[in-house]
Amino acid sequence: MQINFGAREVTIKLVYYGPALSGKTTNLKALHQMSTDASRGRLMTLETRDDRTLFFDMLPLVFRAEEPQSHKDGRVSPASGMSLRVKIFTVPGQVLHSATRRLVLQGADGVAFIADSQLSETQHNAASFLDLRQNLTELGIKTKELPIVIQFNKRDLPNVRPEADILALASRGREPVFTASAVSGMGVLESFFGLFHLTWTKLDAEHNLGRMIGITSDGLLPMIAKQLGLQVDIPSLLAACVGGSLDRHSKGAK
Amino acid sequence: MNEVETPADLLDARLRLEELVDRAGLGELCKSFHTLFGIPVRVYSSEGLLLADAVGEHEVCAYVNTTTEGRRACGATVSAVKAHDPGPTKDLVHPCFTGAAYRILVIEYDGRPIGRLILGPYLPSSLKEPPKSLLVDRAIQFDQARTLLLRMPRAKTETISRIALHLKGALDLILFSGHKTLLTSQMHLASVRESFRELQEKNAKLQQAYDKLKELDRLKSNFLATVSHELRTPLTSIIGYSEMLAEGIAGELTTEQKEFVGTIYEKGEQLLQLIMGLLDLSKLESGTMSMRRKELAIGSVLSEVMSTLAPTARKKGVMLDLDMADDLHDLRGDPERLCQVFLNLTENAIKFTPSEGTVTLQARMVQDTGGQEDDDGFALLAPTQMELEVRVIDTGIGIPSRERSRVFDAFYQVDSSSTREYGGTGLGLAIVKRLVEAHGGNIGIEGNEPEGSVFVVRFPIGSSPEVAQRTPGL
Repeated sequence: MQINFGAREVTIKLVYYGPALSGKTTNLKALHQMSTDASRGRLMTLETRDDRTLFFDMLPLVFRAEEPQSHKDGRVSPASGMSLRVKIFTVPGQVLHSATRRLVLQGADGVAFIADSQLSETQHNAASFLDLRQNLTELGIKTKELPIVIQFNKRDLPNVRPEADILALASRGREPVFTASAVSGMGVLESFFGLFHLTWTKLDAEHNLGRMIGITSDGLLPMIAKQLGLQVDIPSLLAACVGGSLDRHSKGAK
Repeated sequence: MNEVETPADLLDARLRLEELVDRAGLGELCKSFHTLFGIPVRVYSSEGLLLADAVGEHEVCAYVNTTTEGRRACGATVSAVKAHDPGPTKDLVHPCFTGAAYRILVIEYDGRPIGRLILGPYLPSSLKEPPKSLLVDRAIQFDQARTLLLRMPRAKTETISRIALHLKGALDLILFSGHKTLLTSQMHLASVRESFRELQEKNAKLQQAYDKLKELDRLKSNFLATVSHELRTPLTSIIGYSEMLAEGIAGELTTEQKEFVGTIYEKGEQLLQLIMGLLDLSKLESGTMSMRRKELAIGSVLSEVMSTLAPTARKKGVMLDLDMADDLHDLRGDPERLCQVFLNLTENAIKFTPSEGTVTLQARMVQDTGGQEDDDGFALLAPTQMELEVRVIDTGIGIPSRERSRVFDAFYQVDSSSTREYGGTGLGLAIVKRLVEAHGGNIGIEGNEPEGSVFVVRFPIGSSPEVAQRTPGL
């Protein structure tokens, strides 16, 4: 996270990590397609001729805290004029781009791990997660302290891990888990808002971001959805999460 | 830009308009718009630096500028337009005293303002008559100014908005492409740097491992030398006493006792040979073998080998031949060690040659074949670089070509079953090779058609000083 008081900006970096061809870029494309408003920037993809990500994809989102916020005690704080910049990156999944993955991961505030639900990809998912952990260690980041959500993507394909298996695994794991089919957009917003919520809760607890930007935590996600032109109900999006806890970091910080 | 920029900064760097676009290209874009709509275009960086423009002076402007006050008022307007920040609205109209207007727009990229776009002057379509403010100087004729002013391209506010939107859209695409290229190249550099760092770390680890192995190798050689020496001392006593027993110094022995003592003596000798071989090998490997260096004739060495091994050859029914050229040069080396080399090779040859076969020792002078044809001055230098070549030729069982490079490894046997048949420690050739190399020479194996093998040993004979340097053991 970067805070620039002069430019009145807060920048949050989210990274979509995962094995090759698990649908990281597809997630970003779906998010880009679903959001309609001007707060969404152009999706930048640096890909090779065979559509594999070479360096990274980047989707910049810019939100402005322009509306005055009313508090529960009746107080109304004026619009801060701060802008919240969210940059979403994907890493190249292929094993050989290890150096690039580490570079993109540097300074990440939250990670969405996009796993391929196909049973045949189980090993690759695990290997990629170990790679993530290794890279985080080398960057001096503790995996336990980084907000991470897991998305089981490609639910639409045959021979995938059954829903019941995922529920059972998720209930035992620490990370919140989402299921998705990014090609059709299913589960994409859920995962994004889940990760954003988790990341924001941690950063807010550590840096008092909400006060700086002038927005309450409850108001933030609806504001973002609104500025992205999305007609969604945030609580039901977050409720799609299975296992783990989306409030883990706020609890941990106290 | 900072050299040690971290990718985290790189990926969210504050971009500057002038870094993202090619100024000449931007100028062409402005010109094309100017040609299309007849409205002047100027692009400024966020610091107010003019990056590109396409401006044709309108007739009315030229006319007004001929007067003192007109020039002053025009200058003031242009400066005001340049300095005017549209603020949060990002879009405003700035009027000119002539009745014309300027449109000032903020260029944004990545959600941040990075420059300004100024369109104008143009004539607002709502304007019917020039305002009185046009007459800033007495010299200005209203009618003439009016006629010229009305020739200025007219545009509705919405039209200007559309033009501006289009221009901003085109500019945004250029900025995006520029940004993408910038990021790609920076990422490329960062990736290469990161990979380089990784490789350096791995190299350092490999170097450490290599140093450790080298140290272990040295320790191994030391250990071998020490152990061999310590083993040899008691063995000498075993051999000595068994020899004395066999000679009956301690009293007459029965035939069976003599046979037993003989076996003890024989095996002791074998063990001693093995230990001596190990000792030689470790000394040669650690470079501590002491060797004499004197001028010697290879003929005398080979003759000694012949006379030593003649009885063995005769016993086996193998013919032993010596074939020496007349022009043999002297060699600098240790006669005993060289004798050891050829004794070993010849003994091997006899061992592996069946009766009725022949073993030939051949010595001659050859031209140095080590040099490459593309070496500097090959045609001049090659004739001066001679080698003394000794070939030990047998008609024995031969060595398959794929085994030829390995027979010089310590303890290597071509065929484990032949070990039993022919015996041997597996150290002889390893020692031979190192002894030859210690003399600056080399050894190789060729086939002897139709059967048998040829061991080819070459020693450099030369005036060149590097020969001495190439003989580490001497």
